[in-house]
Amino acid sequence: MIENQTKTSFFTGISCVGRFTAKEMKFHITLFILAVTFFHGYSAEEEDAGRLLASKNVLNQYLVEGRDLTVEYRIYNIGGSAALDVKLEDDTFPEADFDVSSGSLVAKWDRIAPNTNVTHAVILRPLKYGYFNFTAATVSYLPSDKTAERQVGYTSAPGEGGIVNSREFERRFSPHVLDWLVFAVMTLPSLGIPFLLWYSSKSKYDISKPKKN
Amino acid sequence: MATNGWIIFVITLFAPLLVAGDTCLSPSVKSKYYITTEAAASVDTVFIVEFQLTCKNGLKNLNLYADINGKFLPVTITDDSKSQYQVSYSDENKNLPAGNYDVRFYDEEGYSILRKAQRSGETNDSIKPLFTIALNHPGVWKGPVVQSEFIAAVVAILVWYVAYSAKSQLQSDK
Repeated sequence: MIENQTKTSFFTGISCVGRFTAKEMKFHITLFILAVTFFHGYSAEEEDAGRLLASKNVLNQYLVEGRDLTVEYRIYNIGGSAALDVKLEDDTFPEADFDVSSGSLVAKWDRIAPNTNVTHAVILRPLKYGYFNFTAATVSYLPSDKTAERQVGYTSAPGEGGIVNSREFERRFSPHVLDWLVFAVMTLPSLGIPFLLWYSSKSKYDISKPKKN
Repeated sequence: MATNGWIIFVITLFAPLLVAGDTCLSPSVKSKYYITTEAAASVDTVFIVEFQLTCKNGLKNLNLYADINGKFLPVTITDDSKSQYQVSYSDENKNLPAGNYDVRFYDEEGYSILRKAQRSGETNDSIKPLFTIALNHPGVWKGPVVQSEFIAAVVAILVWYVAYSAKSQLQSDK
């Protein structure tokens, strides 16, 4: 499960390119263990109860204002029986800062069987740039059909991420086709004028050439 | 006698409905989907299928299972008042190449029949899904193959080469 965590990556800002650094990974694992203990504390009394672990990850290579941001939630049931009436809710994305482009921030499953996992994904669009702290979503469920008391837990938190200004991103990553075209047009006089001068004298010379022969 | 016949007629009319109480009759689906198209937006390819299901017999919040690429996933209910569902699936880019994908949806009954058939090693082609949603994945764009700077440099070298060869040709003509 932890391997799965390291597979996904989350980049903070444009300057940090690459997958998890060792420090970030350690941080994630601690969070993951933290999530485990959270759930564990609640459901210690029953061995065969459903017990869920949840992770939340941002899958982006770059977080850019106005572009797709992929958030993925994974819920694992490590308990002995199915978790019932599972509800995942993420209210950590303020409406003023994010648009939901695809998927839903609320998800429900009737049951999650033991030793299985479910995945949920949401596509958001950041409306502002700057640093944003991605915090944990809430998971609540019934650990078994005997209990009526819902257990509440939290997913791991991806941490703080830098959302890049879309203009800055364009400047760094767009192919700059227009800029190069402008450059080509600007270099045209210095290349074209000598060429035309030479070409006109050459054509004069070329006409006189056949006369000689 | 006539009333008896009438009752039997009514029973035979509604009996199939009672038997098929848990299955969605003539499902109509409104769906939209999202697939990762840019590597910058996600390190993995993510499929999100959202749909609204209405059954003729008024069933809501069904337990559905989706079959994407031979993998079975429980369908998520995202809004129970509107009977709105979502399926999310993600895998590495190389495992989900561009192309058409069919997502088959089964209800609980169909799913259990399917699992039984799979366990006994039968082919599951005979089991009809409740409905199918077709996805078209255009592929993930990983950025330009050649940088624009490289193209500009090649063009500049080409122009210089043409000019230089023209000049040396003129000089050799003398």
